[in-house]
Amino acid sequence: MAQNVVATNTHKVRVMPPMLRGFLWAGIAFLLLNSITAAIRPDVGHPFFTEVSITIGWVGAVIGWLLGVGAYEGMVLPLFGVTPRVGEATDWRRYFAFATDHKVVGIQYLTSSGCAFILAGGIAMTMRIELASSTMYFFHYSDQYLSAVGVHGAIMMFSVATVALVGGLGNYMVPLMIGAKTSVFSKLSGLGQWLIPAGVLTLAFSPILGYWTTGWRGYEPLGSQDASGIIFYYLGVAALTMSSVIVSLNLVVTIVFNRAPGVTWARLPMFVWGILTVSILNLIWLPEIQMTFILQLLDRLVPLNLFNAAGSVLTQLELFWLFGHPEVYIVVVPAFALWNEIIPVMAQKSLFARSWAVIGLIFVMMLSGLVWAHHMFTNMRNSEMFPFSFFTEMISIPTGFAFMAAIGTLWKSRYRLTTPGLLILMSIFNFLHGGVTGVFLADPPVNLQVHDTMFVVAHFHYTIIGGMVFSWIAAMYYWLPKMSGRMYNEFWGKFLSIWIFIAFNTAFSTMFLVGLEGMNRWVPTYPPYLHPLNLIISIAAWTLGVGFVLHAVHIVWAWKKGPRAPENPWNGHTLEWLTSSPPPQHNFDVTPEVIDGFYNYGDDADPIVANLSELKPKQT
Amino acid sequence: MDLVVFGIVWIIITAVAEWLMHHYVGHNSMYFLLSNQGNITLHAFNFLTTMLIPVFLFVIWFLVFSAIRFHANSPEAKQSRHQFTKNGLFTGVWITASIAVNLLFWLHPTAADLEQMFASQLPSAQRNDLVVDVTARQWEWIFSYPQYHLTQTVNAAGQDELVIPAHKKVQFVLRSYDPFHTYDVEAGVIHSFWVPAFGIKEDVIPGETRYEYIVANRTASYQTNPEVRVQCAEVCGPGHPWMEAPIRIVTASQFHAWVAKQQKMEAASGA
Ligand code: HEM
Ligand SMILES: [Cu+2]
Ligand SMILES: [Cu+2]
Repeated sequence: MAQNVVATNTHKVRVMPPMLRGFLWAGIAFLLLNSITAAIRPDVGHPFFTEVSITIGWVGAVIGWLLGVGAYEGMVLPLFGVTPRVGEATDWRRYFAFATDHKVVGIQYLTSSGCAFILAGGIAMTMRIELASSTMYFFHYSDQYLSAVGVHGAIMMFSVATVALVGGLGNYMVPLMIGAKTSVFSKLSGLGQWLIPAGVLTLAFSPILGYWTTGWRGYEPLGSQDASGIIFYYLGVAALTMSSVIVSLNLVVTIVFNRAPGVTWARLPMFVWGILTVSILNLIWLPEIQMTFILQLLDRLVPLNLFNAAGSVLTQLELFWLFGHPEVYIVVVPAFALWNEIIPVMAQKSLFARSWAVIGLIFVMMLSGLVWAHHMFTNMRNSEMFPFSFFTEMISIPTGFAFMAAIGTLWKSRYRLTTPGLLILMSIFNFLHGGVTGVFLADPPVNLQVHDTMFVVAHFHYTIIGGMVFSWIAAMYYWLPKMSGRMYNEFWGKFLSIWIFIAFNTAFSTMFLVGLEGMNRWVPTYPPYLHPLNLIISIAAWTLGVGFVLHAVHIVWAWKKGPRAPENPWNGHTLEWLTSSPPPQHNFDVTPEVIDGFYNYGDDADPIVANLSELKPKQT
Repeated sequence: MDLVVFGIVWIIITAVAEWLMHHYVGHNSMYFLLSNQGNITLHAFNFLTTMLIPVFLFVIWFLVFSAIRFHANSPEAKQSRHQFTKNGLFTGVWITASIAVNLLFWLHPTAADLEQMFASQLPSAQRNDLVVDVTARQWEWIFSYPQYHLTQTVNAAGQDELVIPAHKKVQFVLRSYDPFHTYDVEAGVIHSFWVPAFGIKEDVIPGETRYEYIVANRTASYQTNPEVRVQCAEVCGPGHPWMEAPIRIVTASQFHAWVAKQQKMEAASGA
């Protein structure tokens, strides 16, 4: 990278590119803290790198990294009343350094998540290469395969599924949609973004310390028995979840305190409701899993014997799923919200049963804390099966409200099958498969058969890829003209969407069948009778992977080179369309005054903002 | 008009799907099951499928129908002709139906089946069962038959082997520890005792003893169907993929002949 030249008011200063400096400071801090730990450790003759010294060194490295990418100038110096020599860059460089503008932070999050998605997707491709044959031929040892499963799952969950819609689109869109000029904790949120690369790299390189085999759930006592690589799992997840805690704190407070006049709770846009509910879930449950993993780390380093046969094995499982189930709603609630955000706009038709759709989100949020043990039917007393199956089955009721609103809005509409419009319908289609198979899983007798099989793997990929990733791509196309001022190519958008739709459904519907025929999870080999179906899955999974990469290429191309987009290409009514694209630094020149809801269409719909003429771009 | 077309097609495709399901899928079994527990599972599975087909097809068909019938012909923003935000009848039916269906599912199959399962596990229901001690260690299933003083049964190739008679209740006693390393508390991890053909799995956890009751309702073996195998279903380390053992389900007389042979073998080896 070239020397970074940043213009200040008076003169140009030459500074090191922030990310490079981050790496440098991280390395120095790691060595420093590792050496200190090694030096003060009492038992003579231990190696220079131990699990304890690496853990402490890692903490230093993350702090060094955060300061190096710009938190030093952005947060530390101002704290001591010193004005930094350089401020935030204003050109493209601001995307590669600590930033405070929520739009920059949002794009940084989207980029981090997008890269993590491609990385973890690439790992999934290696897994599917291995599973294309019933014997081991790609990986040499099964613990390599199991590490791949764990790294894939952990990166996907903690830096893609939890982050892309909240840290990414939430950071970018929520302040715009509520008519705010900034987010409340803008510095903190700028800091949080940089924990994502730190966490993803920690996870991706965890096998350096030894292959770990537990997968993303980190079950004990297997975890304490695994190679040291698992400590990078605990640490990587700690960084990633901390990032989401920060995002959620910032967005909840922004939604509560920074709404423009007239953006009442009854008028709050659907996507904002989704982000609010999911942020509350994050704030409740992420600290819980952080504490759990810290206990597991201490259990290993000290050791404490908390979670082995001498302690209580089941406690760790309960603690994991106490977070783990809400996590699945953390992933999918913003996707539900996106359906009902985008459908009325594409249909140019008023949102049907809006209050039920909001109630659905809220009840899903509350019920999601009551069902965790449905992941543990193979582990529970008989009497516990009744309440946990009951609440699990009941959660499909509020989930259904999202469908109900979508269906009512589509009925007799004029739905524009643009790329985002199409992808949203596909997302509903896919999620339905995940939801319906979830009803089977909620029935304990069926669950006891299909639990821990590929049936479950297909089920949750249907909800996550089918529901969340399809909605994410839809939202990228929908808001692309807003974020970049440019338009994608409609033919390629639709063509690639149909591509991933077919590949996805082929791969993962076949995966249900191999599960029903007796294929268990976490295996690089399987009995030969399962081979033909697995080969189909692998081929389709590869096609899917290529489709995702092409979507990414298309979006990046459109962002840079696409034709100029009109100010409000979809004729959306939410506030983000009332400013220029991309929006200026403080979003709106004048604060909009909202006087009606955002989802009313038709000739007799009332105006939505009182001061339309003062707001810059014209509403079509 | 839209409503009529939509409804009629929905009814037709639902009927076709139900017919296919009952004539092909339901009888050919979604998977291979041969135990009393497996019957419960299969019935629950088929019942849920029968009930969910109309729901599933309603949404799928609706999405297809909207894409065909309600799509706009040009990408320009034109307000839809029909604008409404409420329909009491539709929301009322939807919400009532979803509550009713979910309550139903909880009562049947869930609660009804659980009652049946739990009843078979009551101490009063245990008479003259065959007891098989199953010990899970990394990475091996060890089967012992305390009633016959067999400590570890193996086949001709020296692999651990599970042999049970058909039509007799078997009590599996599940424990996870390593009989060869009892001094190491970390040595036991979670495994899961799963026989796909039994239709049930139970985790085997260090420090706990658990029970599973099965009646196999016909003879079979790993050779006749690969789902007749013990398969560890919970990841337990690098050896997990290979933690399986073949099963033979045999007649009562074959079982006794096998027991006699095993007893002779163990006596010969001085075990
Ligand atoms: C690109 C297409 C993808 C393919 C082909 C794929 C494939 C797989 C495979 C083969 C497994 C191992 C299953 C097992 O044996 O347990 C797996 C596990 C998993 N995947 Fe994916 N996956 C994909 C995308 C995703 C996405 C987008 C997410 C979430 C955002 C995700 C989340 C997970 C999780 C949480 C696990 C469980 C890991 C564990 O057991 O610890 N995957 N995936
Ligand atoms: Cu769950
Ligand atoms: Cu295992």
